[in-house]
Amino acid sequence: MKNLLVAVSALLLSVATYAADLTVYTYDSFVSDWGPGPKLEKAFETQCQCDLEFIASEDGVSILNRLRIEKDNTKADVLLGIDDALIEVTRKEGLVQSHEVSLDGLKKELNWKDSDFVPFDYGYFSFVYDSSKIAKPPTSLKELIESDASVIYQDPRTSTPGQGLMLWVKKVYGDESPAAWSQLAQHTVTVTKGWWEAYSMFLEGGADYVLSYNTSPAYHVVTESKTQYRAALFEEGHVAQVEVAAITRTSSNRVLAQQFLEFLISKDAQAIIPTTNWMLPVIDGVDLPPVFSELIMPKRIGFTPDEVAVQRKEWLKEWRSTAAR
Amino acid sequence: MKKRVPMRVAGWSSLFLIVLITVLAFQGLIGFSESGPDWALLNDSYFHSILVFSLKQALLSALLSVVLAWPIARTLYYLPNVPALNSFLSLCLLCFVMPTLVLITGLVVLAGQAEWSLYGLNGILLAHIYLNMPFAIRVFYQQLKGIPDSSWKLSAQLKLSHWQRLRIIEWPSLRGTSLMLFGFIFVLCFNSFAIVLALGGGPQSTTLEVAIYQALKYDFNIPEALMLAWVQLLIAGGLFLMVSRMGSANWLSVDTASDEWTPQAKGWRSWLMKSSYYLVWLVLLLPILALLFGLIQGDFSRMSLASLIKPTLITVSLGLFSAVIGMALAYAMLNPIRQMNSLGQTRRRVFFEWLATHALVAPAMVVSVGLFIFLLQRIDIDRWGIVFVAILNTSIVVPFAVQKLKPRLYQFDAQYGDLSRSLKLQGWVLWKIEWPFIKSAFFSTFALILVLSMGDVAIFSIFGSKEWTTLPWLIYEYAGTYRMVEASLASMLLLALCALILWLFEKAQTPHA
Amino acid sequence: MLKISQLIIERDGKQLSYDFRLEEGKILAIQGLSGVGKTTLLSAIAGFVESIEGLISWQGDSLNSLPVEQRPVSYLFQEHNLFEHLSVIENLSLGFSGVAPKAQIVEATVVLQVADQLEKRPRELSGGQRQRVALIRTLLRPEPLVLLDEPFAELDPKTRAIATEWVRDTAKLLGKTVLMVTHQSEDVDRVADESLVLEC
Repeated sequence: MKNLLVAVSALLLSVATYAADLTVYTYDSFVSDWGPGPKLEKAFETQCQCDLEFIASEDGVSILNRLRIEKDNTKADVLLGIDDALIEVTRKEGLVQSHEVSLDGLKKELNWKDSDFVPFDYGYFSFVYDSSKIAKPPTSLKELIESDASVIYQDPRTSTPGQGLMLWVKKVYGDESPAAWSQLAQHTVTVTKGWWEAYSMFLEGGADYVLSYNTSPAYHVVTESKTQYRAALFEEGHVAQVEVAAITRTSSNRVLAQQFLEFLISKDAQAIIPTTNWMLPVIDGVDLPPVFSELIMPKRIGFTPDEVAVQRKEWLKEWRSTAAR
Repeated sequence: MKKRVPMRVAGWSSLFLIVLITVLAFQGLIGFSESGPDWALLNDSYFHSILVFSLKQALLSALLSVVLAWPIARTLYYLPNVPALNSFLSLCLLCFVMPTLVLITGLVVLAGQAEWSLYGLNGILLAHIYLNMPFAIRVFYQQLKGIPDSSWKLSAQLKLSHWQRLRIIEWPSLRGTSLMLFGFIFVLCFNSFAIVLALGGGPQSTTLEVAIYQALKYDFNIPEALMLAWVQLLIAGGLFLMVSRMGSANWLSVDTASDEWTPQAKGWRSWLMKSSYYLVWLVLLLPILALLFGLIQGDFSRMSLASLIKPTLITVSLGLFSAVIGMALAYAMLNPIRQMNSLGQTRRRVFFEWLATHALVAPAMVVSVGLFIFLLQRIDIDRWGIVFVAILNTSIVVPFAVQKLKPRLYQFDAQYGDLSRSLKLQGWVLWKIEWPFIKSAFFSTFALILVLSMGDVAIFSIFGSKEWTTLPWLIYEYAGTYRMVEASLASMLLLALCALILWLFEKAQTPHA
Repeated sequence: MLKISQLIIERDGKQLSYDFRLEEGKILAIQGLSGVGKTTLLSAIAGFVESIEGLISWQGDSLNSLPVEQRPVSYLFQEHNLFEHLSVIENLSLGFSGVAPKAQIVEATVVLQVADQLEKRPRELSGGQRQRVALIRTLLRPEPLVLLDEPFAELDPKTRAIATEWVRDTAKLLGKTVLMVTHQSEDVDRVADESLVLEC
């Protein structure tokens, strides 16, 4: 019996002392074998001579939810992968602390000044289509909505691109959004739970347009050598999604966490991210495959995280009653 | 008498364990939020529309599945010489356990070819029927095979007409089963999640389970989720309870080997039956073929097949664990229930049967999230997550095991219960007598729950980790990162694995399963 | 001594009452019209049916509260006495608390002319053969109280003669107390010491 106790304690102790130096909560696709995770981990561990551990949740929102549940007992030092729409909510719930990382190297157009969150990649929501099937794509959101082209998009209640579209429509149509939603519903094939369900349906020929990112064509060109997929550029401008990272309030490894955030916006990391996460880098001067310069670079429109936090529920209610067929 | 006590203890403990999981899950949610369920929502018109839709799609799915299954089962029974009958039955089982992800992909490819709108109520019904009708066919067929030969002999002697045969012999045999099947399929469809989300087509197609997911996802609105969960539990649970009481666990008749008096269909009836049989074959195969078709055109140059090996092994191991423990739990749980059945304590029996199978009606979303919350605050989930995936998977398959084992065990009791007691058989000796009788049902149930637990992914997404990815999770991972073709391949692999397991078990079978 | 004292059993809304004594080692034939409650009586003694009131006692001990598994009863049902999925010899070996008395069993099968059926499954035997097999086991089991429900119904006159003789001989040899339900008066003459006719 005594031996058993000793053995169990030894086991528990060994488990307890196995804690990485830095624990980062992120989303699943980030740490897949072909995502940015593995490469970033290797690069950072070489730089810091420490042990980095990624813990993945289903997606960005799940990261936040997990933190909400864990509260002060969270293991995370860094959150990586929530998007800018969730910034205010996260901040208000007191889950993060200020990073004090220099934001000077970031692209001017991002105009990023947040003291708690650091961006590490971004993209513009866009409708992607097959140029071998469509010669003349619409040049504005209004044109797409008023046309009868078949569209697939995501549910704003469960997906960030879906939410992006909701913000987009609100920005372009304002009070006339309900009519726009109803009109869109006429030629919407379906509304999916997440990004990939929609995108895979689109690839199977399920619709003319799918809501995705302006960087999606880059994936096809670089990995598959397929050039027919393009993103449509709308003259009203596009809503952007900026993915951010932050230090958790309860982290006891602030210095290392800061170092990691600085690493994220360094040239090393920013060179890895675009061709693994398929989003745009947040600093200038990154070496990218040629196709990146051919991507559409739209005007940015949208709402501040504050406005989103306040209005979101209302807008969702509006969507769900008017977008029903 | 001494040997029966451990069995009884095992039975009650198993029941307790199964209920505990659900209770802890609810506790996880309730304990976390300061306020209880948001009952004010009961007046919300949005809630009403969700409720109506949930009921409507479940009702239609169940009705159509049962009604359409009946003629096919008759075809199999009255035309026992149709080609590939056993393969057809295997295909039916495969359809029932097919991972929803695989089905959806197949249907999408199919719809893409046919240029027909898959999305909306139509698509949901189609998918539900595809998944459940084959199961109904099997159950009806087995029920029909249980009609004693003597009945047919008598009917021939009495020169009964087709209509009389249907009314006097066939319908009484199927009546109880129809109701049970209807209830069972209704609950499955009522709680349907992946299919409704994928094929619903928009906010108009939202079920309670989907609404719970949405409430928990972004807003982490636990009061709303709790309220929806209670409603779902009440409705699905209540209906299931009602149906269990009204439908009967139809006793299959005393084992007889002969079926020489079963009438065979002739003439135009035979022709009609055969055509429908081939038609259904085609319909059931189409999504699988579509998936294969899409696969053949894919480019696998970047894919390493080796990367599939570990997830496959993990999937199979997890599945085996869930299946073995699930069978043990189900068998144990049925022990006190069989006792109640033999003693004619109907109300008690029905209640405990419901308890044993309640995991079917408990909202899966609530159970997984609730349990996650409960455990996250108490243990290191990232290290032990796989244990809980295994536990949850097991709790999900137990109702299926109970449902499938129950009739055969009841039959043993009916046929040999008194004899066993009179001979004072117990413990090991009793088991040796019982085993040959239930062996066949045991194996087919095992195969069923093994395959079911392998295809489960919803749980994993919350508990899973990179170190032990399962095959379904790998599929989601591929799909989530643009790698659609790889996802299709992995889906096909999963399907082939399921088919292989089912085929192996059916081969090692007597025709009684 | 088997005592049935003021036993009242409810069946289909009617109340059946029984009251009699049977000395140890005696064979009692129970007769009566169909539906009068003969099988019900046997079921009650064996423990399958509960009584409203009254006492069943054996050797001075009350049996009323004992479950089936603890009653000193060996019971031949009207049908379903054999497990279909076991062979005849396997069926015959059941119901003995220790090791089955193989020699005795085999000898009995010879007498009752079923010795060449031992390895077969019950469904391969005729109704009469099955009944004889079941009879053997019922009589040779250790329990002192033997209940037989229409034990000779399927037998033709010749085998009937053999079987009735065997039952009486074996019961007397082993000191069994037997209750036998039957319609045939020859059975009563050949086997029984006493007779009880049940009336509504």
